[in-house]
Amino acid sequence: MAVEEASGSASVVKDVASSMEVEAFRRLFPLQYIERYLDSAVRPDGRPLGRARPTDVVLGQVPTTDGSALVRLGNTTMLAGVKLELCVPSAETPDQGRIAIDFQMPPICSPHVRPGRPAEDACAINEQLSIVLASSQLLDLRQLSITSGKSAWVAYLDIYCLNADGSLLDAALLASAAALMDLQIPTVSINNDGKVQIVSSREKQDQPMVDAEEGQETKSKFVEGRSLKLGPVPVALTCMLHKKHLLADPTAEEEAVLQTVLVVVLDSPDKLISLYKPGGQVVATTSTVMDCIALTRLRLKEVHSILEEATQTHEED
Amino acid sequence: MVLETQKALLKSDGTRLDDRLPTYVRPAFLKTGAVKVAAGSAYAEFGSTKVIVSVYGPRESKKAQAFSDIGRLNCDVKFTSFATPLRGKAGQDIGDKEFSVLLHKALEGAVDLHSFPKTTVDVFALVLQSDGGDLPAIITCASMALADAGIVMRDIVAAISLSCVGKNLLLDPTYKEETQEDGSVMVAIMTSRREITQVTLTGEWSSTKASEALELCSDACQKLGESVFLVPKVCIEEIGNFAIFQLPRPPLRN
Amino acid sequence: MINLEMSEQARVDGRTANQLRPTLCSRSLLERAHGSARWQQDNTIIMAAVYGPKPVSGKKEDPERATLEVLWKTKSGIAGNADKEAEVTIRRTLEYIVLSSMHPNTGISIILQVVNDDGAILACAINAACAALVDAGIPLTGLIVAVSVGVTTHGVVVVDPTKVEEKNFRAHVCLVFPNRPKCTVAGLPAPVGGEPAEHGIITCVTRGAMSVDEYMNCLERGRAASVKIAKFTRTSLEHCQRSYEIMS
Repeated sequence: MAVEEASGSASVVKDVASSMEVEAFRRLFPLQYIERYLDSAVRPDGRPLGRARPTDVVLGQVPTTDGSALVRLGNTTMLAGVKLELCVPSAETPDQGRIAIDFQMPPICSPHVRPGRPAEDACAINEQLSIVLASSQLLDLRQLSITSGKSAWVAYLDIYCLNADGSLLDAALLASAAALMDLQIPTVSINNDGKVQIVSSREKQDQPMVDAEEGQETKSKFVEGRSLKLGPVPVALTCMLHKKHLLADPTAEEEAVLQTVLVVVLDSPDKLISLYKPGGQVVATTSTVMDCIALTRLRLKEVHSILEEATQTHEED
Repeated sequence: MVLETQKALLKSDGTRLDDRLPTYVRPAFLKTGAVKVAAGSAYAEFGSTKVIVSVYGPRESKKAQAFSDIGRLNCDVKFTSFATPLRGKAGQDIGDKEFSVLLHKALEGAVDLHSFPKTTVDVFALVLQSDGGDLPAIITCASMALADAGIVMRDIVAAISLSCVGKNLLLDPTYKEETQEDGSVMVAIMTSRREITQVTLTGEWSSTKASEALELCSDACQKLGESVFLVPKVCIEEIGNFAIFQLPRPPLRN
Repeated sequence: MINLEMSEQARVDGRTANQLRPTLCSRSLLERAHGSARWQQDNTIIMAAVYGPKPVSGKKEDPERATLEVLWKTKSGIAGNADKEAEVTIRRTLEYIVLSSMHPNTGISIILQVVNDDGAILACAINAACAALVDAGIPLTGLIVAVSVGVTTHGVVVVDPTKVEEKNFRAHVCLVFPNRPKCTVAGLPAPVGGEPAEHGIITCVTRGAMSVDEYMNCLERGRAASVKIAKFTRTSLEHCQRSYEIMS
């Protein structure tokens, strides 16, 4: 990546900086603090500009859900859980289930969130997540159907941010995808009237006996439990633009200071799911956009292998 | 009917469904520093009850609040929608409110509000998974998070609940046991000072039963408090923050 | 080649692929607001009102700059996540042109009322907001111009899609560029990387999936169309300016 000499910060600041402790300089001149690092093509946490933080995905963390995942992206932590409930599909899409996405930033996650109404950021990320999941082919809603027009699953996907340290969309999207990968659709029985009931594996063996005792001719049909067949997992990469620098996967500190953000979501190297740049002080040229897409391509490969590893370790357990 | 429920909760050898004796607590796991961006935080597991508490502050009080010479302790408890087997509905907020008030009451006595005048310390809790004994878990976890944040406290608060099912007293009940209880006790104690900060007692209790229950709870709190002591100590040594966290060492007993 | 062929083909409403809908902009319609504008692209109509700079209190007050607040009002009046997201996007877009440091400790409110939504709503709203800011006399570094571009299921790129088109299309993009033909304000970024400054993307919001090439195509078409809208905005503003001069 091209790193050029940034126009030098005010000489006053430099003089002060030489006689000041690092921590004090960081708090008083946050912009100059970060710029000094950027000029030497490194980040305050020691990363090169284009590298994302170490990422860690653990599946099946919450037994009260049908599928869950815990994602750590540096300090940013997301816990996602999917719960399934039965519903009647809507008339327009009789062969499809539904997914309801809820992204929450409880006050524990950041000093900027106070209890009460959800924060603006949380709403924006929630919307972004819904759009990305709707635009990508990750989850075909037809897989949530049980009997066309009569019954389907509604998947409640709740993502909780436990620790907000930047690049929230990246982590939230990864957690959502991982939770859906972990999702196990339970076995159901459908009786003559089309009534659907969830059966645990133990009940399944008992049920025919009960029916026999009652002397009824049982036509209960079982639909075996399964996991979802998902499409390519979309991967988001938050990039910060500052002067001529391009930073991938910013921390909360970097996000607060550098302002201009550009989020790219890809689900395969050439398929753009979303490119979101909400204003900021730096305009993006075509070449900047291409650079961001190139970085996301690298990240895509990285995240896909992390997810594969997570599924393998989960299966081994 | 009563017999049936008892049968369901206690096995023939007198142990509980998870092989505990009625007077045993669940295996607990406590750790400070769970949320990096917070001033102080802690994560606690009591069996499969899992909570995270983070503490922010002391910081500026909300503008809307009246002037206060001493510090404010602001508590807020939230549940994830998947904390309970049934997905949380909107109505749960009322329960959260009650928990927030109870948490505030349990901690108020232990925190030195004079040490941060005019400012607020926020204690936020999120219950990731609820399986009985949520409130005591939050209280214990919150007092650790406060210690982690370097807030001046008189002592660590440890809390334990107990369910009375029929004739049996079950310490640190699970959700299943709580649903069948006839009465419950929750005790929060500053362990090294042996001072109670909060007792809640619900249901029908005979005075002998009640005192027996309180005895059991305070004993368990004492033991819990001793183990909790070891957790923040490690953390405090790490950050070299002895001066802020002044606690009388508990007398070591066997 | 395909694009050329398709651009000849008429769309549902008879337009060609590169044709914008008839656009109207009128200002100073609201008596009580400090500035207001109505932006209409055929059936898509947005009403924008600007209040401020005005005193603000509490957390919103910034000693270094004026704080911008965008309120997005739909016809139903119920604010959902989508509306909140639009507010965030528009606010951050407008922050690019508003010289907020001129009025520290104050607040500027921009209220956007959707009168009718027939596609390209976000682009319309940004154009309306920009016109209303000018009307209110808020100091700006320049103007911005927003344009909406759609990608059909065949990968053909068309500008200014209607609601029906947006629904049937595979994807659509809202792009915002600087509208700054003659730059007089010092300190603004000069042409970067061999591209003129007005080619830089201030804001980009995409809906639906597309290939990277299709996106680049959208960018190109969007830029071309933005020139027309930019010209319209300027003439429309100058027109008003002249009428002011005549009046006084």
